[in-house]
Amino acid sequence: MRKINADSIHHFTRAFILLGFAVMIGYLVISGQIQLYVVPQLEIYLKITGVILLLIAIFQLYISIISLNKKVILCDCGDDHSHSHDHSDGHNHDLPRGWWKNIAFYGLFILPLLLGLALPNIALAGSLVQTKGIHLGGASLSTGMKQGAFVELDGNEDPELKAKFKTDVYNKDYAKLGMKLYQEDTIVMKDEWFIEKLQALNTFVGNFVGKPITIKGFIYREAGMTGTEFIIGRMAMTHCIADISPYGIIAESMDASAYADDSWVSISGIIEATDHQGQKVMKINVEKIEPADAPEVPYVYPDWDFASKL
Amino acid sequence: MRKDITPKSAAGFHTNALAFVSLILIFILYAFSNYAPGTLLSNPKLQIFKTMFISIVLEAMPFILIGVIVSALIQVFVSDETVQRMIPKNPVLGIITASVLGIIFPICECGIVPAIRKLIKKGMPLHAATTFILVGPVLNPIVFWSTFTAFRTRPEITYTRMGLAFIVALIVGLFVYRFVRTDQLKVKDTSSSEVHQHHHDHHHHHQHHYDAPKERALFSNKCIEVMGHVVSEFFDMGKYLVFGSLLVALLQTFVANESLVHLGSSQTSANLLMMGLAFVLSLCSTSDAFVAQSFLPVFPTGSLIAFMVFGPMINLKGILMMLAVFRAKFVALLAIFVFVLVLSGSFLAEWLVFH
Repeated sequence: MRKINADSIHHFTRAFILLGFAVMIGYLVISGQIQLYVVPQLEIYLKITGVILLLIAIFQLYISIISLNKKVILCDCGDDHSHSHDHSDGHNHDLPRGWWKNIAFYGLFILPLLLGLALPNIALAGSLVQTKGIHLGGASLSTGMKQGAFVELDGNEDPELKAKFKTDVYNKDYAKLGMKLYQEDTIVMKDEWFIEKLQALNTFVGNFVGKPITIKGFIYREAGMTGTEFIIGRMAMTHCIADISPYGIIAESMDASAYADDSWVSISGIIEATDHQGQKVMKINVEKIEPADAPEVPYVYPDWDFASKL
Repeated sequence: MRKDITPKSAAGFHTNALAFVSLILIFILYAFSNYAPGTLLSNPKLQIFKTMFISIVLEAMPFILIGVIVSALIQVFVSDETVQRMIPKNPVLGIITASVLGIIFPICECGIVPAIRKLIKKGMPLHAATTFILVGPVLNPIVFWSTFTAFRTRPEITYTRMGLAFIVALIVGLFVYRFVRTDQLKVKDTSSSEVHQHHHDHHHHHQHHYDAPKERALFSNKCIEVMGHVVSEFFDMGKYLVFGSLLVALLQTFVANESLVHLGSSQTSANLLMMGLAFVLSLCSTSDAFVAQSFLPVFPTGSLIAFMVFGPMINLKGILMMLAVFRAKFVALLAIFVFVLVLSGSFLAEWLVFH
């Protein structure tokens, strides 16, 4: 038996890093906390990834153990070198050549694992808004909009209603959703279709003035907001935390000052229209405000296919 | 073992730089602790950073794994000769075939650059090789799929990315065929070609000298070979992914989007900024679409196209690797040419497709 050599240290380090990632993914999936990092659609991919990583880790562990006794050559590198584990970095097989390089190299992989261990998995809601800037009208959804002739929707609905929701062809889906919301007594902003409803309400805000609405979200105040005004917001996640962006509605309440930024509240009130930075957006005239518990998964997800489900 | 000094020192510099930057980043993290070490862990910025960082790494992980596994399979089961036989003599046909090959083989530039060196030695024409290097990282099924997923609402972004990358690679290939002498390999000394040929995996090479026959018998199994490649590629590619995620997480945590908007407020500066970012981040093309997507609300779509076409073709990591293969002059020429083409192409795309 040879003494522990540089190769073995490499192999073992790699095995444990792989194992670390597999365990981290496994833990997040089983505890359900994975939803704090990625959208539900990606969960299945991460489950598969976790299993594959585990298999690779076991393989690598096996290699590590063998490497204690003899040099391990993983590929049958004869004359035909078509492989591209190139890696001019030389970290592959000779640890002694650069301790610092290797520490930096493996440290890079260990850093997310350590951070994952050291810090709790929590949801990011309000505190991130400061660096992101809040969307009041689903602004990012309307970027591709072009000016065009307004059209009425097809369908058997009341012609008077259809006339109210005339729009250009790019907004047809929102007009459809708007008509549906218009027929409801109270508009309830649930997690499902939060962004879509917000967009529909803002696009046809004139039609909704005077309607009751209920919503739950966190409180956020933009610079220059008066004492009674605040924004009630939700975070939308498209794929992962990197792309979360806040969406919200301006609200006005005499009791606003009693609620701190980032705190969660339930609100019911009446829809009004207001001007905000040159855009006509809706505003809630709050009738009732009360503290609420933050949901375990505080994110809302855009449903790009909502129109077909209407 | 390695006689080929320059690539080694280039790579050494690269790793040193990476190590240096990592240390600085760790220091920056510590700097936020202001007072006692204990307060560091409860700093809300650190919490945001951690969540961002892990989220980006987790999200890209499945795509990295797919890329690594497929590329390991190809490395073990498809020989260079097979690839080479497919390249026709006619330059235009050669370039088109090279791009088709690039489409079929989903290898990132990390895998392509070293392989291409050998392909050129074996007689693959330089123009076809150049096209292959440029096409491979962008135009392949995995990148198409991940871009498509990242921009589900806007499929035209995916098509534009693929289309622009294809056009840029074709033009560069033809340009190289017409204006560049074929002999652009870094090392011209033919007497030691065997050694140079093997420089990219010289470690294995020298290990064979010890007691190769016995070990070879132990690990002749193709399956184990594939697994070995998967592990080594996972780390090779992973380090760029983790490092990129780290930078992106830092940017997202500490730089307000509004100040970014300020920087990239005009179309030109947005495109330049995103291309610069793509160059520095050196993201793997299988995951860069997701990073680009996070900029969607902030930057014009054309600049994201520039990010996703320029990044995989020319980036810090890729340039360093290419320098180990080609002459510096050729790499510089290639970089400048791709830069100009992508910049103008992204303006054109913004104007034609997204306006």
